[in-house]
Amino acid sequence: MNVLLPLAVFTPLLGAMLAPFVTWALTPMQARAKAGYPLALLFAPGVLLISLAARAGHHPATHTTNWVPQLGLQLTFRADGFSLLFAVLIAFIGILIFCYAASYLSPREKHGRFYSYLLLFGGSMLGLVLTDNLVALFAFWEMTSISSFLLIGFWDSRAASQDGAMKALIITAIGGLSLLVAVALLIIAGGTVNISELDLATLRGDPYFYGALVALLLAAFTKSAQLPFHLWLPTAMEAPTPVSAFLHSATMVKAGVVLVAKLGFLFVDTPFQSVIMYVGLVTMFWGSFLAIRQTDLKALLAFSTVSQLGILMSLYGAGYPFAATAHLINHAAFKAALFMVVGIIDHELGSRDLSRLSGLRHKLPITFMLAIPAALSMAGLPPLGGFISKELFYESMFHEGFVPMFITVTGSMMTFAYSFKFLSVFWGDFRADKAHVHEAPAPFWLPVLPLSGLAVLFGIIPALPSAIVAVASHSLEFHAEHLHLWHGFSWTLLLSIVTWLGGTIIVFAMTPFIRFQYWVTPNWNANTIYYGLVTSVERLAYHTTALTQGSTFASHLRYVLLPFAGAYLLLGVDILPEQLSSVSWEIITVALLVVGSCLGVVLARTRLSAILFMGLAGYSSTLAFVFLRAPDLALTQLLIETVSIILFLSVFRYLPLLTRHHRSPLAFGLDVPIAIGTGLTVFSALLAVQTPVADRIQDYFVAFSKSVGGGNNVVNVILVDFRGYDTMGEITVLSIVSVAILALLKLMRRQAPRRLPGQVPTQVTTQEDHPETVSHTRDHASTDVFFKVFVFPINFTLIIIGLHLFLRGHNAPGGGFIAGLVIAVAALIARMANTQLFRMSTRVLVPIGLLVAASTGIVPMLYGLPFLTSRHGETHVPLLGAFEWATASIFDLGVFLVVIGVTLTIIDLLSSRGNDTLAPTGTALKDGRIPRYPTPQRHEVKR
Amino acid sequence: MELLLPFLAALLFATGVYLLLARDILRVIIGLNMISYGVNLSILLVGGTNPEGAPPILNAVARNYVDPLPQALILTAIVIGFGTTALILVLGVQAYQATGSDQLQDILNTADPIDTLEATADPERPSLSPEMTTEREDHS
Repeated sequence: MNVLLPLAVFTPLLGAMLAPFVTWALTPMQARAKAGYPLALLFAPGVLLISLAARAGHHPATHTTNWVPQLGLQLTFRADGFSLLFAVLIAFIGILIFCYAASYLSPREKHGRFYSYLLLFGGSMLGLVLTDNLVALFAFWEMTSISSFLLIGFWDSRAASQDGAMKALIITAIGGLSLLVAVALLIIAGGTVNISELDLATLRGDPYFYGALVALLLAAFTKSAQLPFHLWLPTAMEAPTPVSAFLHSATMVKAGVVLVAKLGFLFVDTPFQSVIMYVGLVTMFWGSFLAIRQTDLKALLAFSTVSQLGILMSLYGAGYPFAATAHLINHAAFKAALFMVVGIIDHELGSRDLSRLSGLRHKLPITFMLAIPAALSMAGLPPLGGFISKELFYESMFHEGFVPMFITVTGSMMTFAYSFKFLSVFWGDFRADKAHVHEAPAPFWLPVLPLSGLAVLFGIIPALPSAIVAVASHSLEFHAEHLHLWHGFSWTLLLSIVTWLGGTIIVFAMTPFIRFQYWVTPNWNANTIYYGLVTSVERLAYHTTALTQGSTFASHLRYVLLPFAGAYLLLGVDILPEQLSSVSWEIITVALLVVGSCLGVVLARTRLSAILFMGLAGYSSTLAFVFLRAPDLALTQLLIETVSIILFLSVFRYLPLLTRHHRSPLAFGLDVPIAIGTGLTVFSALLAVQTPVADRIQDYFVAFSKSVGGGNNVVNVILVDFRGYDTMGEITVLSIVSVAILALLKLMRRQAPRRLPGQVPTQVTTQEDHPETVSHTRDHASTDVFFKVFVFPINFTLIIIGLHLFLRGHNAPGGGFIAGLVIAVAALIARMANTQLFRMSTRVLVPIGLLVAASTGIVPMLYGLPFLTSRHGETHVPLLGAFEWATASIFDLGVFLVVIGVTLTIIDLLSSRGNDTLAPTGTALKDGRIPRYPTPQRHEVKR
Repeated sequence: MELLLPFLAALLFATGVYLLLARDILRVIIGLNMISYGVNLSILLVGGTNPEGAPPILNAVARNYVDPLPQALILTAIVIGFGTTALILVLGVQAYQATGSDQLQDILNTADPIDTLEATADPERPSLSPEMTTEREDHS
């Protein structure tokens, strides 16, 4: 067990959470980018992994954290040579990138977010290479895709960034899903979740094996931008340059290559070896072909990366891990350096367009010196690292026959050519859009120095890369050779010379060559397919949505209700009870009232009659509750109905008039069957559920109401005791509703009134301009003397009744809800008489009530009892006799207060008092608009 | 069990649904209220009418009570229903005031344009117009 392994992975991941705080802590704003320096240290454990290199060969360090080992879910890290090599590379480049970003980012960027994403990526990438568990491999793989998406889209307001981020995510997510399939198949076929325990002989006997290999390849090809999935990588260059240097050249895009390298033994002696090799070679050729004609420096490097990834893929795929690993470290060094150089150019000149820049060596001499070795290494010239690994590449492909050799050499000629095209930005006379150009400050170019230095060192001291590559020898099962700059005269040297000559010809004939390129390349490419697919999927989604969800509320709802309206057909025919009981006269009374109110509501032509018929339906159901022996319900419904009518009438002045033609004939033809069908479904369902499938649980409540809840009113005991949690939630929802209404009415006042498009602001109409509405507004509160005189005795009675209902609620009909509503009604009556029942704002009752109710829940918790545990008992009070009590009554008090508070708050807000946001119907709105009335269609006549 | 009460619940439902599908917002609110009456009655009927049962207030005489659980559920439903009605009413009034229309299709945003994905960062994306290609040639 070695703690350094998880430490290396989780330090950056933890840092991702803390990075925003580090940047916030830095003042002034200009200094925030400098958070890159301290945050770079989070990669230190990753670099320290190098200490494990000595034992990487035969006894690699491991670390396992068990989660659900039975399911193979344990987080295992294993520092074999290759993983270690790549992990140290990630951490090393990571440190340089963070130091570089500290200078690159402007003070206005969102630094916290940037560093956070970058650390998230760093940790995920380290996890990806170090983990030995296939499931964890998949998880880390997806994390790198997501952090890449976030980083490409970092400048999220730019359409191009959005496009690039989406493209990268879509393509790499396809690969990610494919990897999931591969991982699942490998676990099934191999019987283990650990990569190090996979046994080739067992796997080969399994029918899933080849499926797993195909899925694995798809994952590797998408991630490493192999043809035809290369198209996401150039678009990903919308990311800030440090990201391009880190993710999209040195590390993340190599994840696919790493996968092929680590699991390379699976592909041995299968046809896939040559498939990978040819895909890699074609990618290499096509990438360098396209790189030549780019004018954007970053795009040039992007296609160059595609090309170089092709080289790595073909070498690992064809079974030349030594050559591949040597090229991998070379490429990481020179490509990251070149990206950083482009970043400097972009930063200092405000452009990275080759056609607009030249002669930069005069202004940026240090940058130029740093770019030279990196670019020449990319071109494959001695005495640089790139030359050695290209020789190895040639040697390997030399064994594979003529066609691979031919592709290799022609591809390399173009690589040579675009490397020089890149450098051409430094030659010639100085030309740029910006006049005053200075060399970048030292902290900006210093991070490039180690990378360019390595490009040189790898060439002149071949023992250095030999030693580094040798670390991976055991895990990738190759025999480490000694690298040499000078091989003596050989075929490969001859081919190198041919490459240089061919490359030089292309450099000098660049313009005709590019003209030739446009002539031979077809008018379409992988992008055509990608954008075609994306657009057609979008169109399909749009049309499906438009078709099924409708563009109006009603047409949307019809689709939802249609299945419900037809559901009665499925409920069968044997739902009618065998014995029908007789209908009592009371129910017939109720039935007449309900039918009448339903007809009235449907046929109503004015707002007032519609509201009153609705109230009638409510009072009818009150009556139904009485006859169905539900006294608490009847009381509640009665009071709520009253309050509702008051509510509707208090907003009456603001309500729109009723339209006569409230639906088209077609809609009418649809709505009537839907309504009838819905009714039939309810009817059938109610009959169908009359046969219970299990024992009713009512007996429990009846039996324990007294002994456990301490009350005779079972309904109230259920509310405040058995299902107290439920009620707690309910009063919370009620409180939220009152806050929402408060927000809707009070906060909207702060916003300027919205104007319709094309609306010309007209003169503000005040109430003085409309005397008739003024009088209408003012006599809102009654001045009736009779009413005023009698309001006091009425209210006094109501309050006594309310308190009585509250106190007896546990044992007889009543309780917090009902009593609260009675008090609210009393307050509303007082309001109508232009007096006040409460001298204070009733709004405060809402939080007080919630607190009281919650405290009865929390206090038992202090004694170690569950939330809302209740107690009840009997106490003898002197003079008054026995006194029954239950703590649930305190909870009921909370309910009581909340109900008063919410009801009065809502109605207070909606009535004209304290409400100046709304304009009465028929008057002008605040901004002078008159609400639209198609008068010929309106029926209601103002008198 | 008799058929009249389920019929009444169904009638309230049907009326509510019919109003809910109307164009103007006041009818929608009233329709929603009618549906909640129907729902409350339905919940009560699901518990069974139990013609012999006494109201669920424990006393020494009665041996058989109607099911108290649906009653407790409906009681909260009635109060919550008031809250939602109030909220929708305010929303409706505010929408009416803000847009000057109570017709739902005016208040709701009806069409959203398809993103044409014209903005792209890809240097090698083929353009629909041939001019782009020639422009690139000039650059190099």
